[in-house]
Amino acid sequence: MNQIFNTSNEKKNTSKRELLFTFQSIIVTGLLAFTAIAFFYYNNLNIEKGIKVVFAPFLSVVPLLFILSILRDLRNGFKEGNYNKPEIMKFGLITIGVTAAFTGITYLLSEIDALEVLLAAIIAVLSTVFFLRSKIKDILGMSIITGIAEGIIIYMIFLF
Amino acid sequence: MKLKQVNIAFVVTVGVSVLVFVYLVFLGYDEIKTFKDVIKIIASILFPIPMLFFVRFILIEHFLPKNTDEYKLKNQRPATILLLIAVVSSLATMQLLEVVTQQKLEDNLIFAHLINSTTISSYVLNYVLYNNLRVNGILSGVLLSLAVHVFFLSS
Repeated sequence: MNQIFNTSNEKKNTSKRELLFTFQSIIVTGLLAFTAIAFFYYNNLNIEKGIKVVFAPFLSVVPLLFILSILRDLRNGFKEGNYNKPEIMKFGLITIGVTAAFTGITYLLSEIDALEVLLAAIIAVLSTVFFLRSKIKDILGMSIITGIAEGIIIYMIFLF
Repeated sequence: MKLKQVNIAFVVTVGVSVLVFVYLVFLGYDEIKTFKDVIKIIASILFPIPMLFFVRFILIEHFLPKNTDEYKLKNQRPATILLLIAVVSSLATMQLLEVVTQQKLEDNLIFAHLINSTTISSYVLNYVLYNNLRVNGILSGVLLSLAVHVFFLSS
């Protein structure tokens, strides 16, 4: 009886982690859309060739779909128990590193002056997020996604 | 059953805090002048949310200590002392920063929102999930001093 209770409890932890991971990727998607809109209106981007806007997403969406279809899951999934201290330290540092890197990447995005290039770049980041979301279901994926979100926000607050 | 309730509480907390901040932004409507200000304020409001999710992701298990009388009694004195220390020290820090940089906090609306949203989110999260009374003391102190600063010490 106790055994059954324990396994169901642990399974709940895993699914809760998965739910949080999904929420986090939804937030990142929203932030990326927000970035695109903000840059589009504030930097007065112009459309050089309309046909390029239509085809920009395919640059990264097609490889993503291909990779998702042929690749198996890369990590073992979410841990059921607690993380120990060295792991928390390690992934906290990874998050801070990705945050710094993404502040820089957002700065590079703000330098783009054509809508089609911006769109292609943002869809590429979005594809990376979906890749992490579906194949690296792990604390590593979670820390990278958190880093991306915080990087965009920090750029918007302090550098924009 | 309990776990599910706690999870729902977490989601509701995030939702409510987002709503409260949107409301606060409209209260400070006069100071918003350009489209850039709006973006910056939205960003500063969203700032704590990914971090909250990350923290919750890691600390999924250690929540809800037994909220017994014994636990409260044991933590009363340290929590109160921490509250007082936090009020005094963050008031002093804010005064010092204003003197040093020669700028008012109200002129830098983004920082006010940043401090406010981060503190409120972690306060509610701590209150709902972890119930650590000492942390509660510190966060209450920071919020209280921010309110005192904006209300009484700035003209």
